[in-house]
Amino acid sequence: MAFEKHRNILDYTLQTLLRRKFKNAGIILVFTFVIFIVGSIVFLSYSLKREARLLFKNSPDIIVQKMRAGRHELIPVTLGNDIMGIAGVSNAGPRYWGYYYDSGAKANYTILGISTFGLENNRMLTGRLPSAHERGVAAIGRGIADVRIIKKDIGSTLYLQDADGKWMDFNIVGIFESDSEILTDDLIVMSEDDFKYLVKMPSGTATDLAVNVYNETEIPTIAGKIKERFPDSRPILRDEIIRTYDAVFSWRSGLIVTLFIGALTAFIILAWDKATGLSAEEKQEIGILKAVGWETSDILEMKFWEGVVVSLTSFLCGIIIAYVHIFFMGAFLFAPALKGWSVIYPDFRLTPFIDFYQIAILLSVTVIPYIASTIIPSWKAAITDPDIVMRG
Amino acid sequence: MERKILRFRRSTIFFIFVSMSFIIITVLYIQSRISISRHHILEKDLVEIVENLSLTDMVLSTDARYTRHPTQADLFSAFQDYPGSIEHFPTGSVIPPPDFSYTGMVMRIE
Amino acid sequence: MEGSDNRSGYSYEGIKAVNSEQWTVNSKTIIKTENTTKIFNKGKPDEVIAVNGLSIEISKGDFVVFKGPSGSGKTTLLSLIGCMSRPTSGRVIVGNRDVSRLPERFMTEVRRGTFGFIFQQFHLIKGITVCDNVMLPLYPTDVKPLRLRKMAEEILNSLNMKERKDFYVRKLSGGEQQRTAIARALINNPEIILADEPTAHLDTHLSDEFLAIMRKLNKQGKTIVIATHDPLVYEKDYVTLCIEMRDGRVRKMN
Repeated sequence: MAFEKHRNILDYTLQTLLRRKFKNAGIILVFTFVIFIVGSIVFLSYSLKREARLLFKNSPDIIVQKMRAGRHELIPVTLGNDIMGIAGVSNAGPRYWGYYYDSGAKANYTILGISTFGLENNRMLTGRLPSAHERGVAAIGRGIADVRIIKKDIGSTLYLQDADGKWMDFNIVGIFESDSEILTDDLIVMSEDDFKYLVKMPSGTATDLAVNVYNETEIPTIAGKIKERFPDSRPILRDEIIRTYDAVFSWRSGLIVTLFIGALTAFIILAWDKATGLSAEEKQEIGILKAVGWETSDILEMKFWEGVVVSLTSFLCGIIIAYVHIFFMGAFLFAPALKGWSVIYPDFRLTPFIDFYQIAILLSVTVIPYIASTIIPSWKAAITDPDIVMRG
Repeated sequence: MERKILRFRRSTIFFIFVSMSFIIITVLYIQSRISISRHHILEKDLVEIVENLSLTDMVLSTDARYTRHPTQADLFSAFQDYPGSIEHFPTGSVIPPPDFSYTGMVMRIE
Repeated sequence: MEGSDNRSGYSYEGIKAVNSEQWTVNSKTIIKTENTTKIFNKGKPDEVIAVNGLSIEISKGDFVVFKGPSGSGKTTLLSLIGCMSRPTSGRVIVGNRDVSRLPERFMTEVRRGTFGFIFQQFHLIKGITVCDNVMLPLYPTDVKPLRLRKMAEEILNSLNMKERKDFYVRKLSGGEQQRTAIARALINNPEIILADEPTAHLDTHLSDEFLAIMRKLNKQGKTIVIATHDPLVYEKDYVTLCIEMRDGRVRKMN
């Protein structure tokens, strides 16, 4: 059975690897680390991207912001009526939202004034949303409840300081549960009236306008028309929202290149070291093997196995650790970097969407070059006549 | 002598290791499918929240406007939050603001 | 037969060669070189003619010594005979086969099937055990490892190395390393044993021991070829052929 021969060669290869235990363990460690980091980034960015695509499929088609001197400004609500006049627009309504800096907790919240009803029987929301003109009530995200509310439950009171510095009380009527934290963690949802009062918003203005369109394919055309008719506006397309999350892919180039450049450099140096030549010892060993009756192909097979063992071991370990890191341990290594100094920050319990295409690419850009860099330098040593060992 | 004969061949150990890894990967894959199907059950509710509150962004980091709402931020003002604010590294460099070059371009979702 | 691609005639340096099967070799002749030349770095300023037009004939069961100072070409000649390198011109015949132009695969096959090598520096692989070293030549074959180990152990036993079989090579004495190298040369049950300066690193006692082993193997019918400049070796009375070399040529044959 020809199989036995290959197994024998693999046996010998493993023995050779064990012989240089520390060197090879070092290579496997660095290699595993590189795979782990790149794999983590692939897992994280892909699952974020998929999540964005799934979640924002029903977010407004176009958001229209008003710009003044290049800065985002409050938009007149009446602009909505004009936009409604553009053919193809189904709806253009104001959005009221902004940020609230809580100096006590040193946290930024997102405050949202709503005039809609809804979210009844939504499993993500315990309690209810404030209704359009109801005063003094709010629904909050679990993150805020954890930071601010002692009781952490419905019925507690939340105090916010208005634009004049006076305190406003909000009775908590709803809490968004942690399953929706990626959307709602830092939200304070109140009625439109409360919002306007809290931030002293001039009447007849809104933060921006949410525009919906009948035919999805016309979104860019309508955005173009809005921009044409109201040159001081800035329409933001839902595509761009989703594409922004696609751009989270710059993780790969961004994080890896900056934060993990050390590991990458170490790995490249190792690969370079292997690719540029064999040590005299290795060369002599190849000579000995040839002299005692190994063929060139046997030696190359040994080197092939060597590459396979090192790179496959590293790849499998790295990818498994990366998966555990991202999807079981909440990306704890990246979290501090992502978190910055924000106080409210979701747990990153991401849904494990896996992109097999990218994993396959990762496999082919790490494992295959590594195997090649093990085999190619030994090629020259393997094809020379074995009498080199006799000549010393 | 006995010890040698009873001992596994190194190649066998390697094959066991590789098979174990593949089993773990399969288990993880099944786990991911289960999580995804669980997520799809929740998805309806999540999408409803997005629709109802007209949300545009994920809560990934709440440092600054352009990390909390990267899609709603200005393209040009790195220090937009207050003049002395430093750039919010790394979130700021990881999640860039959107490309507003929509005019005259046809763009599609998916 | 294998190597049939070598049957058509070919010529080099003006000599028209014919296919190897036309060579009628004395049935006792096991190795024959015909006007064999080996030039290193040919055409370059550091060109060295290591073996220069050498014709020798070795019979089955001979105890042959190549003798001569270092640089006389004896090691090169040994590697030519042992299918470790190819001659620049001329031919080398092993058994009935012209091996001088065989493709690498077949050369390896001949080498593995016919020769056992013992090197001056022993050339053992250091980080593995004696037994593993002995098994080395037969790894890339379909012999099961357990059987292979048994074969190796048998040979080691016959060389009084039983106690040392699981030792790492670097812990062995010179003589033990030498015996390990001999065991490795014997694992493929070769017809011809080639040894290059085998006694260079051994004292007189160990050299005698080595020669005794060689003598024993020779009596068992194996052909022994030793390249050396050690008088202890070439003055032995059981040496059947002593070829004295200088500057790549035969100076004297007796």
